[in-house]
Amino acid sequence: MCLVLMLGLGVQTLYAQSIAVTGRVKNKNTGELLVGASVSVQGKSVALTDANGRFSLNTSVGSVLEINYTGLITTKVTVAKAGEIEVSLEQNPANTLGDVVVIGYGTQKVTKISGAISTVKASDIEKLKPVRTEEALQGKASGVNVIQSGSPGSKPTVLIRGIPSFSGTDPVVIIDGVPQTLTDLNSINASDIESINVLKDAATTAIYGVKGGNGVIVVTTKGGRKNQKAAISVASNYGIQEVMNTIGVLNASEYGGMINEGSTTAGGPIIFPNLSLLGVGTDWQKQVFKTAAMQSHTIAAQGGGDNMTYFLSAGYLTQGGIVGGNDKSRFDRGNFSANLTFDISKKLKFLLNTTAVTLNSKGIQENSFNSVLGSALNFDPTVAIANNVPNTVGKNGFSNLLLSEIFNPLTKLENTYNSNVGSKIYGKFELQYNVVKNLTLTSRFGYTKYDGNAKSFTPLVFYGPLNVDNSMNADGSTVTGKHSSVAHEKVSNFNYTWESFANYNFKYKQDHNFETVLGLSVAKVSGNAAGATRQDVPFNSWEFADFTAATGNNSATNTNALAGYYYQYFRRNLSYFTRINYDYQDKYLASFTARRDGSYAFGTDNKFGNFFSGSIGWVVSKEKFFKADFVDQFKIRGSYGTIGNENVNPQFVSIVTGGPSYGSTANSNGYNFSDVFYPGSTVASAANTTLRWEKQIQSNLGFDLVVFKNKFSLTADYFQKSVDGLLFTPSASLYLGTVPSPIANIGSTKSSGFDFTLNYNEAIGKNFKFNTALTFTTSTNQVTATNDDGTAKIFGGNYFNGQSQSVTVFEKGFTPGYFYGYKTAGLFQNAADVAASPKQAGAQPGDIKYVDVNGDGVINASDKTKIGDPFPKFTMGWSLNMSYKNFDFNAFVYASVGNDIYKAYERNANYSNKERSVLARWTGEGTTNDARYPRYSFVDANSNIRVSDRYVEDGSFIKLKNLQLGYTFSGNTKKWFNKVRVYAQVKNAFTLTKYTGYDPEIAGGILDTGIDRGAYPQARTYSFGFDIKL
Amino acid sequence: MKINSIKIVGLVLVITMLASCKKWVDYNPHEDFVITEQDYLKSESDYRNMLVSVYTPLQWINQVVPVGDIASDNAVSGGENASDVLSLQQIDDYTHTPVNSTLAEIWLTAYEGVNRANYMTQYKAANLAGEKVDFAGKEALYGEVNFLRAYYYFTLVRMFGDVPLFADKRLSLTQSKSLKRSPKADVYKQIETDLLASITVLPAVQTQKGRITKYAAQALLGKVYLYQNKFDAAAAMLDNVINVNAFTLVSDFGSMFLAAGENGPESIFEIQYSNVSPYYNWGGATRGQGNYAIQQCGIRGLNGSGQMPYAAGWSTNLPSQNLAAAYAAGDKRKAVTVLDIEAYKTANPSFNITYQVAPYKNTGLYNQKYLPRKGETSGQVELNYLNNFRIIRYADVLLMAAEAYNRATTPNDGKALGYLNQVRQRAFGNTTNNISATGAALKQAIWDERRLELAMEGDRFFDLVRTGLAVSKITGFKAGKHEVFPIPQQEVDISGLTQNAGY
Repeated sequence: MCLVLMLGLGVQTLYAQSIAVTGRVKNKNTGELLVGASVSVQGKSVALTDANGRFSLNTSVGSVLEINYTGLITTKVTVAKAGEIEVSLEQNPANTLGDVVVIGYGTQKVTKISGAISTVKASDIEKLKPVRTEEALQGKASGVNVIQSGSPGSKPTVLIRGIPSFSGTDPVVIIDGVPQTLTDLNSINASDIESINVLKDAATTAIYGVKGGNGVIVVTTKGGRKNQKAAISVASNYGIQEVMNTIGVLNASEYGGMINEGSTTAGGPIIFPNLSLLGVGTDWQKQVFKTAAMQSHTIAAQGGGDNMTYFLSAGYLTQGGIVGGNDKSRFDRGNFSANLTFDISKKLKFLLNTTAVTLNSKGIQENSFNSVLGSALNFDPTVAIANNVPNTVGKNGFSNLLLSEIFNPLTKLENTYNSNVGSKIYGKFELQYNVVKNLTLTSRFGYTKYDGNAKSFTPLVFYGPLNVDNSMNADGSTVTGKHSSVAHEKVSNFNYTWESFANYNFKYKQDHNFETVLGLSVAKVSGNAAGATRQDVPFNSWEFADFTAATGNNSATNTNALAGYYYQYFRRNLSYFTRINYDYQDKYLASFTARRDGSYAFGTDNKFGNFFSGSIGWVVSKEKFFKADFVDQFKIRGSYGTIGNENVNPQFVSIVTGGPSYGSTANSNGYNFSDVFYPGSTVASAANTTLRWEKQIQSNLGFDLVVFKNKFSLTADYFQKSVDGLLFTPSASLYLGTVPSPIANIGSTKSSGFDFTLNYNEAIGKNFKFNTALTFTTSTNQVTATNDDGTAKIFGGNYFNGQSQSVTVFEKGFTPGYFYGYKTAGLFQNAADVAASPKQAGAQPGDIKYVDVNGDGVINASDKTKIGDPFPKFTMGWSLNMSYKNFDFNAFVYASVGNDIYKAYERNANYSNKERSVLARWTGEGTTNDARYPRYSFVDANSNIRVSDRYVEDGSFIKLKNLQLGYTFSGNTKKWFNKVRVYAQVKNAFTLTKYTGYDPEIAGGILDTGIDRGAYPQARTYSFGFDIKL
Repeated sequence: MKINSIKIVGLVLVITMLASCKKWVDYNPHEDFVITEQDYLKSESDYRNMLVSVYTPLQWINQVVPVGDIASDNAVSGGENASDVLSLQQIDDYTHTPVNSTLAEIWLTAYEGVNRANYMTQYKAANLAGEKVDFAGKEALYGEVNFLRAYYYFTLVRMFGDVPLFADKRLSLTQSKSLKRSPKADVYKQIETDLLASITVLPAVQTQKGRITKYAAQALLGKVYLYQNKFDAAAAMLDNVINVNAFTLVSDFGSMFLAAGENGPESIFEIQYSNVSPYYNWGGATRGQGNYAIQQCGIRGLNGSGQMPYAAGWSTNLPSQNLAAAYAAGDKRKAVTVLDIEAYKTANPSFNITYQVAPYKNTGLYNQKYLPRKGETSGQVELNYLNNFRIIRYADVLLMAAEAYNRATTPNDGKALGYLNQVRQRAFGNTTNNISATGAALKQAIWDERRLELAMEGDRFFDLVRTGLAVSKITGFKAGKHEVFPIPQQEVDISGLTQNAGY
């Protein structure tokens, strides 16, 4: 302020004859009043804007004011007369140097950051119109891998910098300073988001200590501005979704032919004597895939007065599912947000953020051979869509060959009834007390409250006269012993974090700048659930499917007619944290963070853990010797530190009384005396007092380069991460007995990788603007230890194809979750071939020849080896934004390279339908030597269906994720509204992939990713919409 | 000043928070409604409940009985094919290695029994909180505990030889890998100590059938002496059981193995199984309340009329023709011990029997003593047969006493013959088959009698090893190796235990 006044005085004396001009400078994009923008005349700085964005100066008529603010486009204004001028500076679309990034317990200017952070801004999110926020990170934030699911509203796989563990890899999510979970991102309206910052390295995440190990996604929502009149915006989007592709399965006559061949090869009879009667039959996929609607609407207002600001928003989104359509599969969300700030006094500020959300969904069975989609692929194609058999109930056709497990998918769909009604409220209460200049005390109470009420109805169903899984007879009567049932579950949880901290910023001798924070945090997660099931729903109808209407009561012969359960849980954490950010003349940067974390779950010997990190940066471009003028900024950064992951539950020596428990160890109690059972009691669990957190050591090396007046920027980072303390069951002496060994922190992994973001923007002439960005993410991961003898393996990726199979494993010496099975070496062409090959039980000519990996002359389980890796070698995102006059165009392409997919959706029952590829099967010596196409027989003595690379496909893909063309109306229409933009959008317009299934993007846990059991594919969406700014 | 006072208030607030916060991360399992060991052993009922669970692993060491015959000349493993019940096939074929799931389960569950017993002796004088809980019958309760620990160690020592020995406490994870194998003699010493202690406190009669009695402890101790060739002590100890006249040989040999005959007048120690409680699960097939070994013995695909008493099973543990041939004509025990299914089918045409010939190692014979019978299971029918294992019965005591007298420092063949012939008279229903041999011939006669009397009850292999006859009677048996089973490989790899010779 003093400086401005002094400057103002000086100017006054210089231009005695001049006129007085006052003005206000704003950020055009955000409406924010700009403090410290410089106003210059003829290259001489004559004023700086004050705390209210105001400046005043005296100048001559016709002089040109140049208003300059770091990161915004410099604007010139010609002074015409004395009085008020309003100047709006436009955001530089590139990764601008003026940006402020939200970090843990504070903010930091981009130029001062020495850690690794990826940022996605509101403008990008607005263009994408995502259902879930994570969608906006995919390919936009480097270092983040997002694998999306097609099921409406479902959680994607999100990995920040590699795969540290076999489970619990979700990053922590901080919404407006309040810790939440990745799951909670389903309840945020994407258009309320101001920015998303992804904190990637130890320097930025260590302030979250034991929560920060998997990276941190910091979401900041919009707020109001002081002294700003209400800005109201309305956005609407309406779209239609459809499936991108279907899988080629056999038509009815091909199917009949294959069944005949399978049966006769196995010595059985011909099943379909007259194939010509079969025709093409029914493609069940066409029956279950529907076009589904999707729409979203948001209305928001932001503004503020002298002492308060507000951001209010209401949104509604509904997305139907393409499998089964809106009736059976959908996600609905309603949002109501209010972000308010009040200046209670000059020094005391109160912030209140509240968002209420309703979350309603319906779902179908997914991800198995007998799910709706699995049934569509595996069901008998000779069956007519409609039931044409007299004297049988049910409107859909049925198979007389497939008598269990796989049903008409329409019958399945028709008998799927569930609803999930949830409501959530989250937000924060925050007090900020400005003690003295640059010292602020903040106390923030953040919370999330969720209540869900789920119901599902299992009706009595008739699947066909010969079906063994019927609960209803052909005449509509109930099969003896079967019951319809309704199940309810109410879940409730309440999580809160109360944090108090002090921010103190100071300078030492002008050039040494310090930004410090010190605080503590108290957190609790708690919840409970209660459920009840009851049999015998009146009229076998969803209409009466409720506990109150069902009539089941337990009896001696039926103890399952009425049942209930309840459970509760909680977690508590206590943390102290501090951080010092330092810079010398914005040139030498350093940051130090410490956090001390306590958890109720840790063993008594390890209640608290300490985490430290530090980072340094050097802005080379600020050095005197640095002569390259075209470089706006060149910064080298490095960081190192420890963080953790609290993935444990408390352990204790419990005493259990009663009958046996049949957990993994089947540890029972009790005994019979005089033929009467007496419950016993015994020690049922052991405690590990040294149980601690998973500890990570991360290092990061990177640089930022901005050149040619912000036109071009590159941020690149290399990281190394070693995780230790992964939880495994240690191999213990058997003489300890059957009490399960408590898990211990004995596993470890190592990851390293590289990610970069490249940004280029250009303006050609006045009307054409262009911006393109490329992100690249890669990591390699290795499991370096499990238990002390390396024998512990975590298996996953289970599926059923006639036998229970498991594909993925987390094992010492390999990448996490790799595919584990037999390698194939073509097909046996003749008996001599079988005889000459390693001994393989049951092998005949035409069967798959497996590789004798260990060379012992026998094909057995010890020949199983790595046959694929579900995680990509690298992923890339490429976005293009162009605007010409009022037209704007946006395209976004995402590529994933090197991810394998294991095809697990074929049931392989004798009478289940098959993929068309079976037509290329081996039919005699020399017909084919492709291991994917062995001979076909009902009897598979060779087990051609065992887990092998036969089912592994390259799932690399390039997806055109978003394509959008918009037009903005302005000018004459100004009386009604400031700005109207209309646009048309296509999501998932096309996919380039060699994968033969639905969608190469298959989300799941670490041990379930890339296993295609008939995964819900993402839809192609055609939509149009408008954004209005009133 | 104003600022200062705010700062002071702030500081005080912060300090209070810091101080009270530490408690925030303490945890008491009671918050999750979990009963921990600190809460337990506070009352008589706690001690009594915990004792019940010391019995439980008796059920889990289930496969010791089939192994005792399959490893001998009495029975073959059977099963569906060469790779079915692989662990038993290998034991039958004498190709067993340290990697054997059946042996590992016996080892693990017997040690669970030891640990459960140890936990009780550990807190006998005072519970975890240091409180003394006294009640009437506490000493007798510990008599049961000591017997059970002795029985678990006896199972371990006669199967594996030298084994880790600990009797002070339940081991915790920190004691993993800390123990070495103790010499057999030390293990036997502990067994004797436990049994002697239990004999002094156990009652002669328990109101609940299945509870350990003083006589069970004496009979087991007699057996333990016999296994150590302490014949004088064995004879004296076993005479305690015989002389009280509390037990009799039931006249109808076969009736003893029916449900109605369980815990009968000849029974001294039976492992109790039941089909009345719903505790069965494939996840722990041998750890439920039903007897898994029964289903194993059954005839595959057996069907017949309602009157036909047997139920189908898995054709495992099939009696050998060698065993059947060992019975003399007129020995009523033969038909009770081995069921010749073809002969039975022919003899009972009204039963309309159909069955599947045992697909592997068929002998045509089935283990009649423990054959699954209709109506004796429930729930998961394969896992829930009610049949008790007859572990020590009076006939066994008589034969052990006979052997002890015959082999005593001062042999008393008269007494030995008396005991032996009691058993034979019951078997033949007359005295004409009585034995009158003495000395070594008598010893052999007693050993032969043990086989005939106790066949398919799981003692044959151990008797053959004990008497040194194994190498001559069992095909594939290698002296100096096969007297004991291999220590489970995990215990060698993880715990660093030494392996038995030859494995």
